Order: sequence, then C-alpha cells, then structure tokens
Amino acid sequence: MAISVKENLIVGFSDFWSRKVRSIITVIGIVLGTMSIIVVLSLVNGVNAQTMKWMMERGGLSKISVYRNWEYRHSNYVKDYFTWKELKLIRSLIPEAKYFNPQQQHWVRHSKDDKDYSTRIYGVLPDYSKIEEWDVQEGRFISNFDIDQSNDVIVIGTTVKEELFGNKDAIGAVITVNNRRLKVIGILAYRYMKSNGAFGNENAFSYLNRQTFVPLTTMIKKGSGSDETKSFTLKAQDAASAPELREKLNNIILNLRRGLPVFRVESAKEEAEEMAENSKMFQIIFYIISVISLLVGAIVIANIMLATIQERTREIGIRLTVGARRRDIFVQFLVQTILVTTIGGILGIIVGLSILDIVSKFLEMELVAGISMIFVALLVSSGVGLISGIIPAIMASKLDPVEALRYE
Amino acid sequence: MNDIINIKELKKEYRMGKITVPALNGIDISINEGEFVAIMGPSGSGKSTLMHILGCLDTPTEGIYSLNSELVSKIKKGKLALIRNKQIGFVFQTFNLLPHLNILKNVELPLMYAGLSKKQRTSTAKKVLSEVGLGDRLKHKPSELSGGQRQRVAIARAIVNNPTIILADEPTGNLDTASGSDILSIFSDLNDKGHTIIMVTHDPAVAKRATRVIKIVDGLIQDGNIS
Repeated sequence: MAISVKENLIVGFSDFWSRKVRSIITVIGIVLGTMSIIVVLSLVNGVNAQTMKWMMERGGLSKISVYRNWEYRHSNYVKDYFTWKELKLIRSLIPEAKYFNPQQQHWVRHSKDDKDYSTRIYGVLPDYSKIEEWDVQEGRFISNFDIDQSNDVIVIGTTVKEELFGNKDAIGAVITVNNRRLKVIGILAYRYMKSNGAFGNENAFSYLNRQTFVPLTTMIKKGSGSDETKSFTLKAQDAASAPELREKLNNIILNLRRGLPVFRVESAKEEAEEMAENSKMFQIIFYIISVISLLVGAIVIANIMLATIQERTREIGIRLTVGARRRDIFVQFLVQTILVTTIGGILGIIVGLSILDIVSKFLEMELVAGISMIFVALLVSSGVGLISGIIPAIMASKLDPVEALRYE
Repeated sequence: MNDIINIKELKKEYRMGKITVPALNGIDISINEGEFVAIMGPSGSGKSTLMHILGCLDTPTEGIYSLNSELVSKIKKGKLALIRNKQIGFVFQTFNLLPHLNILKNVELPLMYAGLSKKQRTSTAKKVLSEVGLGDRLKHKPSELSGGQRQRVAIARAIVNNPTIILADEPTGNLDTASGSDILSIFSDLNDKGHTIIMVTHDPAVAKRATRVIKIVDGLIQDGNIS
C-alpha cells in the first residue's frame, strides 16, 4: 500500500487551490525574487556584452594603446610626447607587433567651395585602418607611398562627405584645410553602434563618421610643423600575446622616460579581462543579495506553513485515522510548499523575461537571459520550497493522532 | 465463535510531567466477530482511551491486544497506519470530515491511502455512499449537509475499506433524536450484515441497540465482559 507521487501532487495541488489567497501571496513573493534574479543578472550581462562589442568594434582584443597618463603630474625634465625618432626606435624594438600607428590630432576647419565643416583631423599611418579594422567604402586609404611623399591627400568620414559634398561625388575632389588643398582619396565606411545611453536611439559611433585622416608626414611637414606625437596604437599578433607585448612596450617607454609613468600602455585584452573580473564580482554580489532575499522568503514561507499546519492539525489527525502514514503526511506538506515556490519560480521567469523584453526595447540593448540563468532561477525557487517546507512537513508528520484529533 | 478482539491485562498510563495518571488499570475483553458492543461509562472512566487503543491510534503501556489474530500491541506506532487503514473504520461524534473536500473525496480517502487507483476508488466510494442514501450528493461539501447526513458520510468512509471492526465514539452525540435513531438503524443494519461494531456511548437508549454492554469505571471493567 502506497500513495503515489502523482497522488501526492494532486493532494498538494488541491490544498494549494483551496487556500488561494495565501498561496497566491506566497507565489507573488517568489515571483518577485526569481524575477529580480533574472532581470538583474541579464542587465549585468547585457552591459558587459555591450562594452565587449564596443571593444571588438574598436580594434579587438589584440589592440594596445599608448597615451598620456593624466594621473601623472608632468615634470619639465621629461617629454610628454614622442618624437619621430623615438617612434622609429620603439617600432624597431617591437618587431613582433603586427601593426603600428602613431597619430596626431587637431581641430580644424574643412572647406569646399562655400561650405565649411569644422572637425577633428588625424595624422596617421596606413596601419590605422588595419588596427581599427576600418576600411574605406569608396576610393582608398592612406598608403605608404603617401607617407613617403607626404602627399596632399585626405580620407574623410561619411558625415564630413555629406556636409561638404551632399550627394555629389567626392573622390578626386579637392578640399581646403588650413589653406592647404588636399585631394579626397577615400571615404571611410559608415560606422554604427546602438547606444545604450540615457538618450536611447543614438549612434555611439557618430564621432567616428565625423573624422578625417591625412598622412602623418603630411601633417608634420605641412600642417602642425611638429613631430610631437602624444599617442599611438598597435596590434599584437593575436589577443593571447597582447599582454606580453604590452608589458614589453611599457618597459621600453619607461626606459625612455627615466622610469616615470608619463604614459599609459593598455591592452584591450587585459581591459576586457579586468572588466570580466569586475562583472564577476558584481554577479557574485547580486547572487548573494538574491540568495539572502530568497532565504528571507523561505523563512516567511516556513512560518506560513507552520501556521497552516497548526490550522490543519485536525485534518492531519483525520488523515492519520483513516490510514495515512507519517510519510504520506510529510510528502503532502512538502509537495505543497515546493509546488507553491516552483509555480512562483516559473511565473517569475516568465515575468522576468517579459520585463527584459520591455527594458531591452527601451534601452535599445540586447538583453538575453541565458538558459543557465533560467535553470538557476528554477532550481533556487524549488530549493526555497524544499528548505522552507521540510521542517513544517516533519512537524506535521510527527503529530500524535489522538492529540491531533482533539485539537480545536 | 471467532475471537476478533482479545485484550488481556491492558494498562495505559499518561505521563504529565512527573505525575503518572492511570487511564486503564488492567482490562480483559474479548469480542467475537459480528457482535455489536456498547462501551459505557462516565466521563474520565477511560472509555475514550480504550477506544483509541482499540482503533490503533494509541498504544497501551502494558498488556496484550490482538486484533484479527494479529498482536497489535507489539506493533510499533509507525506501522499502525496499515492496521488503521485496513482493519478499522472510525465514526466520531464530531464527524471529522475534511471540510474542503466533497463527500465523495472524503469517502475515497481511506482507499487513496490503501493505494487504489482513482477509478476503483470512485466506483467503490460511490457505491458505499448510495448504500447510506447519499448517492445523489457526491459533489456536496460537508458544510452543505445536515448533521445526520454528515454522520452518514462518516459511516460510509468507515466501511469503505471493508474493515474488520467499526469503532464509533458517541456517534449520535451531536445529532437530534430523529437523525440519531436513523444513524443507529444504519449501525444495526451494518451489524445484521455481519459487521463487528464497537460503540462508545453514555446514552442507555443507544446502548439498548447493542447485543452486549461493557461498563467501565475508573479504568476497570465493571460489568458485561461476558460473551
């Protein structure tokens, strides 16, 4: 003689249903708990994914950047820029670097006939396009020949093209920058990435489309007149070797600057790892908070179950009288608690997913709850039921039938 | 005749802190199959305790209780559920139905714990409920029925597993005279069909229906332990 699991489920479910208000309130509590786990963790993951995407778009994990360290107060004894000679030396010391691009930038007015457009102009090497993985959509990018000859050529972003040329053809045309006539040799590909800022639907890369590029030698010889270069970027063979190269480069630069941290050398891979590390910490913190709040929920549910069992003492007595075993009573109450929390968990997942849907539309950001997250939420909610149900169920099953029948 | 219940030197003591309160002081009873026995006695005489022990809801402190040739007094408390389920049908003064279940489900309860399939349960419970005249009320909740009808549901639940003995504890105590005598007639009918019935009562009119009366005073049998 045994009462089956299915039978117990039916008994548990009808118990659940015959106490609708109490069950629904408990379910709501669990719904809120699991929902927040799903939403918060997906948000954290989504922001990480967004940052990662940005990094991949801006040259990937093998990119290394060198720029002025603004945390270091500059002293007059060391230069806070690199000379052309120094750059050549650095390049020769790191032959393993795949690409190397020192750059200067200025803010100037670009003119074409009666049209003006002021924007940032960069002096770069051909490697720039390789490092940023950003090619032209029309014409060509700056070549080594342009560098050698300090050619009067310019490559422009799509916004600049539209501002100065509208729908007209720009390749081969001449624009005036700083009284110098430069021939347009290429138009860079349009760049777009959804922004997840407060302003919603904006192109996070619009600033890239506003840039123009000339050969670095042209800028030094015919523009700024100075070879002082404050930043450069390079690319390692692959992401794996980037941290090592960064270390080496950092030492070279420190040696050139008497060991003073005038410049920062950063590897995208290490930044990404640091970011992952930070987000892992965030995740752990969120997990802990969720677990604590669900534990509070478990205690509340246990309390409710204890009250329920007291109310139902007589029922337990009756069931024992007609032949229920202690195990049957135990399972009946445990199943009931787990049922409540699992239903709460499932609803919480559904509500959480719909909230994510709304939030991701609002933020223009891809937020996806991983399968593992859903699994964890479900497991945790059933676990809460198990934890909170087990002690009341044991107490119910330990009741003395005679005492239970006498209970008013 | 066949001894269905055999009790020898049965004692029951309750511990209340440091004091031990005796409830049964050594009782000998034997009851044959097919008897209708009334147990009478003033309150506090120990008749309820005896009832609980007979119904395997409680265990004696000392002595022997054998039911249907099985030495129940040696069985551990945890294993008594099986005996309660198969051998004993209980009818209480306060009906003790589950209020949130309809009467069909209430009657099915012992069959569920016996492990019968849903189909078997429903058909058996329906049959027994129509035997007690409630075949048309299957979906009613106990609260929708009169006291007499509720007690009939309780009787149906008691007999649905075809138990060896039916134990009734003041079954007419909460009923008016008319429905009380209805219920007693049902018990008489059951007895005529061969069921063994043991009924606790303090009403001599009720006791008259019985084939034998056992009187208990202060935890001892005073009268009537003759077959």
